[in-house]
Amino acid sequence: MNDLFIDVDYAQIYKDGQKIGGDVFLLSRNPEKDQIVCTLSDGLGSGVKANVLASLTARMAHKLSFSPMDLTRSARIIMNTLPVCKERKISYATFTIADLRMLPSDQVALNLVEYDNPPALAFQGGRSVQWDIEHIDLQRDGAFKKEVLGHSMLTLPIGSRLVIFSDGVTQAGMGKSLPLGWRLDGVREFTRNQIEANPDISSHDLAQAIVCRAHSLDRLSAKDDITCMVVYVRRPRRTLVVTGPPFTKEHDEQLVQKIKDFEGRKIVSGGTTAQIVSRIMQKPLKVDMSCWSAQVPPCSMMEGIDLVTEGMLTLSKVATALEQKKPVRSMTNDAVKKFIQVMQESDQVHFIVGTKINEAHQDPSIPVEIGIRRNLIGRLRRALEDVYLKETSQEYI
Amino acid sequence: MGKKEKVRVQICVGTACFVQGGADLLLYNEFLDPAVLGGCEIEGVSCLGGCKEAEAKDRPPYVRIGEKVYGNVNQEMLCRLLAEATRA
Repeated sequence: MNDLFIDVDYAQIYKDGQKIGGDVFLLSRNPEKDQIVCTLSDGLGSGVKANVLASLTARMAHKLSFSPMDLTRSARIIMNTLPVCKERKISYATFTIADLRMLPSDQVALNLVEYDNPPALAFQGGRSVQWDIEHIDLQRDGAFKKEVLGHSMLTLPIGSRLVIFSDGVTQAGMGKSLPLGWRLDGVREFTRNQIEANPDISSHDLAQAIVCRAHSLDRLSAKDDITCMVVYVRRPRRTLVVTGPPFTKEHDEQLVQKIKDFEGRKIVSGGTTAQIVSRIMQKPLKVDMSCWSAQVPPCSMMEGIDLVTEGMLTLSKVATALEQKKPVRSMTNDAVKKFIQVMQESDQVHFIVGTKINEAHQDPSIPVEIGIRRNLIGRLRRALEDVYLKETSQEYI
Repeated sequence: MGKKEKVRVQICVGTACFVQGGADLLLYNEFLDPAVLGGCEIEGVSCLGGCKEAEAKDRPPYVRIGEKVYGNVNQEMLCRLLAEATRA
């Protein structure tokens, strides 16, 4: 697993009264090359027409940036292809392409191409970073205006962020709360304050905060589509899930050693497993009677372990909730909610699955959902990978 | 008169016990007589091990009261057992 994680997310609010956005965001990961490409395009006008223009632009920009083709040529192809607006007699869509590649030196190489979107902002921790942009004049035949691409190559060390947004953000509040809108300086200041107040803020939360602020400046009736995407380079947040006792007793010590050596959050799921860990680590296990529901038994508390839960019932409920993308807000405060919160706050999840069979679960009178541990872990991993795009791994003991 | 020592009660919250009636026992605050409740110190426990004994004559859910483990416990039985234990 990688020792570097690129956290990318975006938030969007459509122009008031529109059911479809004229800003389009695309994201692709190429795991073999450790490459991520994200594209933001804003189409001329609003609604369906703008969405068609922006989707075309974003899709083309996206595909072309995976090809070895020269940048200016790609831009020309995009502009020549776009359909002409019937009213305005021009074809136009803006775009920003961020091509991110992981370098072996714990850094990310960024290749940034910008065309007519507000300039991207970069932050190193809470400090705003300025850089030189190379301007390329396209000089395309049939152009209705001067077309200048901004191109920059940057290396982003750990802790840096890149914030890209459409003009709906910089122009928010124009003519309402602010004469000229929020403007770039306003967005920069707001973002800096957000990062200072919460240095570990996730891309999701930061993008949401910026978009919500822009929306409120527009008095909750957006004049244009408001879109913001955030890239955050950081260490992956790791979590270890231990479930089930080892096949033979001799492996108990080994299991506990693995738990001790793991860097990150630790979950032990299973009553017997928790007792083994408690015995070897010589830490008492205390059941927390304040957190349970009719579906799942209570959590327990133990020094050195972040969450101790019951095994099969909890895991089966967690898998179902993850598959159904249930929002955490709506859950009762029980072990399942706590488990899912930890999963959502992790980037990489490692499972250690004990293979001993619990005789008490072989009783035909207990519910069917207590299935086979291995199947359950398979379901959990699939849900985490497919629905939440987490990296997972597993080992048997 | 010296203060009477509280009766230590452990309710098993392991999977097998929880699904076979243990969940009902965890509502002890609702069905136990407050006087009895005051005389007990109730806590959960990961597994009392009763479900794994091959020759066990009882079935889950299990509850330990003092040193003795009881099987097949339901709300009614828990009321009775604890009333006896606190009276003693």
